[in-house]
Amino acid sequence: MNKKAIAPILLATGLSLVAAGCGNSNSNGNASPSSSPADSPSASASSSASAAPSDKKVTINMMHLWPEGSSAQQNKIVNQIIKEYQNEHPNVTIKQEVLENEQYKSKMKVLSASNKLPDVGMTWAAGYLQPFVEGNLFAPLDDLLQGELKDKFVSGTTEAYAVDGKTYALPLEFNITPVYYNKKIFEKYNLQVPTTYAQFQDVVKTLAKNGVAPIALGNKDRWTGSLWYMYLADRIAGSQTLSDAINGKASFKDAGLVQAAKEVQTLVDENAFNKGFNGLSNDEGKSEFMNGKAAMYMMGTWELPNFTTNQDVPQDFRDSVGFFKFPTVDGGKGNIDSWVGGPGVGLFVAENSPVKEEAKSFVEYFVKRWGEQSVTDAGVIPATKVDTASVQLPQLYIDLLNEMNKATNITLFADVQMKASAAEIHLNQIQALFGKAVTPEQFAEEHDKAIKAGQ
Amino acid sequence: MSVAQTAPRAAAAEPGKGAGRKIGYGLLYIALAAVAVLQILPLVWLLFFSLKNNQEVFDSPPLSLPTHWRWENYEKVWTQGNIGVYFFNSVWLTVVSTALTVLIASLVTFAVTRMKWKASKLVLGLFMVGLMIPVHSALIPLFSVFQNLHLIDRPPSLILTYVAFNMPITIMIMLGFYTSLPREVEEAAVIDGCSVHRIFFRIVFPMTASVISTTAIINMIYNWNEFIFVNTFINSDKLKTLTVGVQNFVGQYTTDWGAIGATLMVSILPILIAFFVLSNRIVEGLAAGSVKG
Amino acid sequence: MSNKWAIALYVLPALLLVLGLIYIPIVMTGYYGLTEWNGIGAQKWIGFANYSTLLQDGIFWKSALHSLLLAVFSCVSLLLYLIVALILSGQIKGANVLRKIYLIPMLLSSVAIAQLWLKIFHPTNGVLNSVLVSLGIDNPPAWLADTSLVLYAIFIPILWQYAGFYILIYYAALKNIPSSLVEAARIDGASAWQIAFRIKLPLIMEVIKVTIVLAFVGSLKYFDLIYVMTDGGPNNSSEVIASYMYHQAFKSFDFGYGSAVGFFLLVVCLVATWLIRRATASKDSIQYS
Repeated sequence: MNKKAIAPILLATGLSLVAAGCGNSNSNGNASPSSSPADSPSASASSSASAAPSDKKVTINMMHLWPEGSSAQQNKIVNQIIKEYQNEHPNVTIKQEVLENEQYKSKMKVLSASNKLPDVGMTWAAGYLQPFVEGNLFAPLDDLLQGELKDKFVSGTTEAYAVDGKTYALPLEFNITPVYYNKKIFEKYNLQVPTTYAQFQDVVKTLAKNGVAPIALGNKDRWTGSLWYMYLADRIAGSQTLSDAINGKASFKDAGLVQAAKEVQTLVDENAFNKGFNGLSNDEGKSEFMNGKAAMYMMGTWELPNFTTNQDVPQDFRDSVGFFKFPTVDGGKGNIDSWVGGPGVGLFVAENSPVKEEAKSFVEYFVKRWGEQSVTDAGVIPATKVDTASVQLPQLYIDLLNEMNKATNITLFADVQMKASAAEIHLNQIQALFGKAVTPEQFAEEHDKAIKAGQ
Repeated sequence: MSVAQTAPRAAAAEPGKGAGRKIGYGLLYIALAAVAVLQILPLVWLLFFSLKNNQEVFDSPPLSLPTHWRWENYEKVWTQGNIGVYFFNSVWLTVVSTALTVLIASLVTFAVTRMKWKASKLVLGLFMVGLMIPVHSALIPLFSVFQNLHLIDRPPSLILTYVAFNMPITIMIMLGFYTSLPREVEEAAVIDGCSVHRIFFRIVFPMTASVISTTAIINMIYNWNEFIFVNTFINSDKLKTLTVGVQNFVGQYTTDWGAIGATLMVSILPILIAFFVLSNRIVEGLAAGSVKG
Repeated sequence: MSNKWAIALYVLPALLLVLGLIYIPIVMTGYYGLTEWNGIGAQKWIGFANYSTLLQDGIFWKSALHSLLLAVFSCVSLLLYLIVALILSGQIKGANVLRKIYLIPMLLSSVAIAQLWLKIFHPTNGVLNSVLVSLGIDNPPAWLADTSLVLYAIFIPILWQYAGFYILIYYAALKNIPSSLVEAARIDGASAWQIAFRIKLPLIMEVIKVTIVLAFVGSLKYFDLIYVMTDGGPNNSSEVIASYMYHQAFKSFDFGYGSAVGFFLLVVCLVATWLIRRATASKDSIQYS
């Protein structure tokens, strides 16, 4: 029904990320982290005191997906921020409800159907967020972007949460997707980090010949395989063609995009992925890499704690993990500094919340405090700018944060970018493509149909 | 009772039907024992699983001993989250829902099978349809029902749902048992002038101890392991149940499998005990009734 | 007589509960099925459009076939459970202990069962393939990734999961048979087989019929392990009706279509139940003489 609206938004997402460059983050970034710890409590206290003089008791319900057990650090930061906020605003009580990812999504469905969303909650970008916005469930947060948070975000991140020019959520995470590799395995077989796809192919063949699984993949979850297709599509057909196809402005039958799908199947034929990948979850696939059985693993930067600080992972292994950028393809239109990635969860405020204003100022506070702490305390790269010079981080983080700053383009994960129904078809087609149940041409055909149906 | 006691003796009295029979029994016992071992292995596996970390869970064979016994997984489970509260909630919700379901279903089954009335078949049919709705179709409608009743985030929403959703299957199972209950006892009671209530509570209810235990076990397992309704209807942490403990260790990108194993292990113990206690009652079904009769 | 009041008193609480908490959702599901709705905001009435889509939806029919296969397998496996229950309820030393052990797996939650079987089916270091490799099979299948095997592979844990449930019911039913009847037959010289087939089975026929319905309907709407272990994949090759419904409603945000699938499932279950009841109906139920 909203044919016209969707395309430009998704395009904006893609394009603004294209333009992002994130290059100016350093200049702005220098100022923010150094000054904020000092002035944040007093400044926000005074500003909010003047803005909201009422001492009316309010309760803000917040729903998030960082349980204490699995996401201890995130959970700790959330609690700490809430505590601070409540201290500064004695009339405000913040009640949390924590659910695990899957359950969180289900509950969001039920709550939104009954128009009973929590005052503050978490959402994903673009395709996930859109129906909530169309149903008038999320409040626009543009005024927050003009206040204290002005220029604090990495450019291109908040745009992923914008519909019709209004921003409906503020991102907390920002990730790109490198290929991690096991240096020891590479050394053993005398392999160099590939910078071209031809070299990459040689690496794959050498490893496969020696009985090492070249790439760890758990494709039951499907978005994992989507990453590989996205990169091949980006490198062969170029970022513009890929995002045009996803937005319905071009066809997936583009020669480059079909070629990318073919390359996926070539990799499968070369036994590039661990055995039975289509039946394994990401966790199971990942374990092949973590156990040193597979040499490479492509995943978002959210995995970094496992390769740097996580004490449960043997030091020996953590030290042997490096990363490389997805190599360029000869004759392809893609650039090596173009990434697949994007912001992860963001905070929304419910449109019909009885405490909307209070919720908004809490979100503002939360995002700012989160940005100061998340990367150092929880290893989560925030969507607000991080000054790598002033924080103590493992080298892998610094390198990747620098890569983010150098990025010429960041294409949002396909399943996040597309509308839910198209995303499901995309994911199913990915699994079928990897399983060789469809030809690259059928794959393209199904995608065009799905994107069209969603418009 | 005396009949039951003579049974084993009767079997023992005719042992010598030849070696073939003995070998047959021997093979049967070997097979039975083998299956029993197979059925215990999952518990052993779960125990080992609960003492490993992610690395080992994925890397080592399922039944291998943990290289390092990580009791800290249990410590995590006990110290993080309100496991005590969850535990308490699980226990009382399970007990109350199970008791209500079994009692109400017994009443219905009794009325349908032992009393003569025109609409009994129809009513039975209405209950049977309840078996057929997929849980996920019911979530959104149920949420709005409870919202209208102001029961969201209150335990009655769970109890009512558990009772309603387990009612059809409980009635179905009871049905099979009730139809094969001897009628003589009741008929005698009717002749003696017993009231309907008396017949039900004093005669039929005790006679069905075996099916009551059976359905109680089934209900108990369902209620104990249920989490979809808990997550949907309950918001407050203090009202959630043990199944939430498992979710506590499922992360956005990574999952702590060892701790999940420990939670599963902790949560299976009470139900294992309850099961052993209840399952002893199964054998006492008719015996109790016939003694009274 | 007071009988009417007694009936009302006995039946109404349950009936009200079921009408309120099961029939309202059924009616609402039926209604949603006639609308286009993404689960947010107002529903748009589209009549039977979802159902005509359904009729042409290849994946739906594929999942319906899978559900039906599962139902058939479940019903067939009842025979095995019945035999186990017959053995356990017979004159077997240690039957009491064995019975309890046999039922242990049914206490495990689906989460645990799924994890267990994922470890068994794991393509490289799974229990099953380790055994196959040690038996000299070089390239054992990747069970859950193989589109032609995954459905049957996943049936095994599902049937195993419910084995305890049915054995428990059969066992209780068999134990419910007055031992005097069995004893009398034994004294008359009946063999164990004769006692089982001539006396025990006919006496628990009603229970068997009920379990057939439960197994059939339960399988048609089965969801849990499929969702956790394969999520219906790869390429929908283990998709069943309930998982397909869930994907449509909760993943694709197509609540209208998902509800249509759910409602269709309900109708199929109804028809199946009616057919089973008819096929197994006996003129007069067996009574103790």
